[in-house]
Amino acid sequence: MAEVHVIGEIYSAHDFPDNQLCCRWQLQTGGGWRVISGDREGQTQTDLPTTEAAYFAHPLNIHLSTRTIQGWPRINIEVWHHDQYGRQEVYGYGTAFIPSSPGEHMIDCQCWRPKGTTRDEIMQFFVGGGLQLRSISALESPAERVKLQTVAMGVVKLRISVITRYFDRFGICC
Amino acid sequence: MPPPMPSSSADPKSKFLVLVTGEIAYAEMTSTSTMYCKYFFNYGPDWRFLSGIEEGISLTATRARHHNRIVLNTQIEATFQSTNPFRWPQLVVACYGPDAFGNDVIRGYGSTHLPTVPGKTERKIPVFTPVASTVMHKLIGFFTGRRAEYVDPRIVATSEGREVTRVQTEGLITANFNVIIKDLKKYGYDCVPQSMSQASEATMPLFPDEDKPAQKYSPPPQDMPTSSVQVHYEEPEEYRPITTESDPPSNVEPYDSDQQNVHPLDEND
Repeated sequence: MAEVHVIGEIYSAHDFPDNQLCCRWQLQTGGGWRVISGDREGQTQTDLPTTEAAYFAHPLNIHLSTRTIQGWPRINIEVWHHDQYGRQEVYGYGTAFIPSSPGEHMIDCQCWRPKGTTRDEIMQFFVGGGLQLRSISALESPAERVKLQTVAMGVVKLRISVITRYFDRFGICC
Repeated sequence: MPPPMPSSSADPKSKFLVLVTGEIAYAEMTSTSTMYCKYFFNYGPDWRFLSGIEEGISLTATRARHHNRIVLNTQIEATFQSTNPFRWPQLVVACYGPDAFGNDVIRGYGSTHLPTVPGKTERKIPVFTPVASTVMHKLIGFFTGRRAEYVDPRIVATSEGREVTRVQTEGLITANFNVIIKDLKKYGYDCVPQSMSQASEATMPLFPDEDKPAQKYSPPPQDMPTSSVQVHYEEPEEYRPITTESDPPSNVEPYDSDQQNVHPLDEND
């Protein structure tokens, strides 16, 4: 079995309409991959920053083993906003692949939120709330993504280091 | 489904070394002008701290008048040994500084993984303080100097229990690292793409659905003849040409060019 170590962090979030944010993340892999140690999902702290961007520095330590290079793992991210009244609303979804080459990488995960009718948009502007995905499967399967109408939000930066094991023995170039 | 094979090798000598030197260079904070920082390392159970400074405290530094950096210039040196890259070491910093009344209060916690690639890396570590849960606590903390703090600063390096905390990022600390890694390739790991062009000699663990261990050079198959067995071939038959009739048929008369022996057609007329 080849192994992949994912070592890194969900670093920060930029360019969202407001910077009081937290992130939920979830690892999605194909069938041939197993998580040997580490979490498959989690939630960062909520940052109410004095800086312009929101910083999480949430550590990721995942150790995976695999019998195939198909189904390479990816991280699904949900960005949540905490407003000044303490309410929470979805501020974005995004997906990023774990890089497939060993080394350190800084990844930008562009985020979007679902867009409703004009009435929904006006309501969201004044009252807050907004549309949410009913289930995370819309991020997982491209067939469901096709039906989505979305609005762009900000960027979540992740710093991820990958260490691979035994990939060279299988003739893999990455 | 059989459980996955354990990854850390049973060979007790399969240890690789990570040497880190570097510095916590400076801090750029939004509302602090004087501070010092404490740092320490957090790592998993497979790791051992071999040498260097495991916990340290920096000098106390004030922001310059002509730029907004607080220069800490604190050197870090550490050597780690491990069997498994899981829970790679993290640098955890905790910054303290005086408030308006002279009390020493927390100015920020931060953590980052040490780089996993050899060479020079620069990092910006965000530092944050826990936010008091109510406005009352915030006011009490401001006046008495007893602000919300973590009981054990090590929690900022972990991911458990973070989802219920609310924090405020106060600034960024810039740190430089120089990393040397020894023997990681020997145990089959690649931390940079350039080392993948050469296959390692580490023994791979058993795959669950094969009987024999995967080896670098497979032994010859069992049914091939070795030198001790003589292969017996039959002697070929002597070559005998196919016998044909030796003489042409005798009742063929030689060709008579003068046409003298022509049988007359009307002989028996």
